[in-house]
Amino acid sequence: MRRVIGGAIAVLALAGLLAAAVPGHAPAQAKKIVYWTHWEQNPEFNKWYETKGKEFAKKSGYEVEVVTIPYQGYEAKYLAALVGKSGAPDFFNGIVHQWCGQYDFCDKMPADLEKTWSENLPKYMLAVGQFKGATYGIPIEHGNFQQMYIDVELFKKAGLNPDKPPKTLDEWLAAMKKLSVYDAKGEPTQVGFALRHKGHPVGITDKFLPFAHAFGARMLSPGLDRATGFANGPEMVAALQFYGDLVTKDKVASLAFGNPEDAFGQKRAGVIFRESWYFGWLKKNAPDVAFKVYALPCAKACPGAGNLFPWSNLVYKNSPHKQVVWDFLRFISNAKDDLEQHQLQGILPVWTVNLETPYVKGRPDYASTREMLAQPVPPNYYHPKSNELATAFGEAVVGVLYGKGQPKPSLDEAAARMDRILKD
Amino acid sequence: MERWTRLAFPRTYMDRQRRAGFLFVLPAVAYFACVYFVPLVESLIGSFYRTLPGGASRFMGFGLYERVFTDPVFWNSVRNTIKLLALSVPSTVALALAVALGLDRLTLRWRSLWAAMYFVPFAVSLVAAALIWQWLYEPVYGVLNHALVLVGLPPQKWLQSLNQVLPSLAAINVWVRLGFDTMIFLAALQAIPGEYYEAAALDGASARQRLWHVTLPLLNPQIVMVCILELIFNFKIFDQVYATTQGGPAGASQTIIPLLYDTAFKYFRLGEASVMAVFVFVVLLVVTLLQWRIFRRPVDY
Repeated sequence: MRRVIGGAIAVLALAGLLAAAVPGHAPAQAKKIVYWTHWEQNPEFNKWYETKGKEFAKKSGYEVEVVTIPYQGYEAKYLAALVGKSGAPDFFNGIVHQWCGQYDFCDKMPADLEKTWSENLPKYMLAVGQFKGATYGIPIEHGNFQQMYIDVELFKKAGLNPDKPPKTLDEWLAAMKKLSVYDAKGEPTQVGFALRHKGHPVGITDKFLPFAHAFGARMLSPGLDRATGFANGPEMVAALQFYGDLVTKDKVASLAFGNPEDAFGQKRAGVIFRESWYFGWLKKNAPDVAFKVYALPCAKACPGAGNLFPWSNLVYKNSPHKQVVWDFLRFISNAKDDLEQHQLQGILPVWTVNLETPYVKGRPDYASTREMLAQPVPPNYYHPKSNELATAFGEAVVGVLYGKGQPKPSLDEAAARMDRILKD
Repeated sequence: MERWTRLAFPRTYMDRQRRAGFLFVLPAVAYFACVYFVPLVESLIGSFYRTLPGGASRFMGFGLYERVFTDPVFWNSVRNTIKLLALSVPSTVALALAVALGLDRLTLRWRSLWAAMYFVPFAVSLVAAALIWQWLYEPVYGVLNHALVLVGLPPQKWLQSLNQVLPSLAAINVWVRLGFDTMIFLAALQAIPGEYYEAAALDGASARQRLWHVTLPLLNPQIVMVCILELIFNFKIFDQVYATTQGGPAGASQTIIPLLYDTAFKYFRLGEASVMAVFVFVVLLVVTLLQWRIFRRPVDY
């Protein structure tokens, strides 16, 4: 027995030695820079980096590898990799105030590239790539704000004119009532508005904010240092009452429906508020839905072009290839590539000059995008703790939707919690 | 010291035996140390520090414990976890016992077939299981509501209802865990000598009395073990919640581990997340020891 074991060990040792001694015959691997993105809904957009990387490799020797991380739980994977350094991407799609502000993972943009982008981005988008005055990120989506998508057929069936969208929230609510269809028990089988009520509270907050802004409310003080008096101010309470009533009193939105995007794509909802990427998603996943896109309705104010998730491309400061990455980003920083990449996926390009191209002018959201950009810029909440703040706020919103609490006490509680987070 | 020296350089037969034993358990000990013990100590230390951007830390004493233990969101997650436990554990254990008793009466071939069928869900990834059930529970297109309507009952909101979300999640847990628990009970049932039942029958014991006075006492160690395992499994529930409800609706299914995960990775509060990890460890340790001491009764016939 002992001999057998000894023999086996000797054979294994010999095999190990041989493996170490014989030169490898594996083909030489191309050098790569790695890009991580959680935009799983935009595969063509992501793949474009690889295509362009092959071109870039001819002059630099580096190709681009794109890794798509599922959106659900992407922060954990990013964080583990960026903290651990090994296995981290060289550049990634993220939010500046989180990855460069809450954490310290980003490389500052070289001056020449910063100049290029500052000269070619619409002014409202400059803040998307900046934190505390320093520029880190390259914004990747123009029209990263919600607009009103309407189902033309459902509008017509309800006796509404799809070419004359509601301009005010009162008109909008009246239209939503006409669009809703109920069963014998009074439960909606088709709703006016596809409302987000599932998922993480951060997403709930994101979808509620246009209503809040329309009511003239804001979630945080202008200095982003206080929530009380803002998150629970009278305008916010009124906005949340209106929002909750959509489900509980007016019954123009339903908690029994799943994802709002699916409900709209399945013609079970007449209206949804979403960003420019939804145009491409609908074309691909629900091609039979005839839709039009309009600016969001206004009340005391117009919601304007605001967002909670300002996505941009960021370079990992500990990447051994960060200079190569900046070279690659320099390589693709031009109007032609910007248009090509965004057109592939049906997303609005970001370069100012591209906003008047036939592709953009031919899109159904051309006029609405211009209209919303002409409105005053709504408050932004680009705070390093925005996730946690939006969670606390979103819990109050979803609580009201589900009848768990009334707007005022729920928002009071949320505001107190948000203040603790801000002070902490 | 001398003991370690003799372990490294054995002089006697007994020394060599001890060394062999030590080497046999070494991989398991090393695995346990790396995968469980080191992270546990790290969590314990981490619970006293606040991690700052860039990776620096600041000593907080018991400040983070105070912050977590005064947070209503944390206690809401504890309440939800306990409710889920109360729904899942007794039903899983009782059902598994019933199924095992039923399978024990079958012939070997049928027993194996049915046992394999019950065991299949246990082999399914928890996320996959959760996603399957999410579709079954879907209020508009789901099979369950379709079936309810067919028999004239009103459709339910399942995972989208404040009151039904925890029972719905508990049903997923029962489905996933039933096979595993059944296997343990079935193995234990088959190890009970037939003579005990014959003796009981001769004494005039009815089937119910045989179950109550022979089977259940002899299954006591397995019942205690399964209860402990189920308690741990349900206390640490994560995949099912994260894949289906993400703690919703309105926090109604927010349990401790998903909250811990969000706290650590979404809000980057590693210190507070460590406090929660320590809390989970202490609670599980105490409850397991209590369960072991109170319910485990040696039975000898």
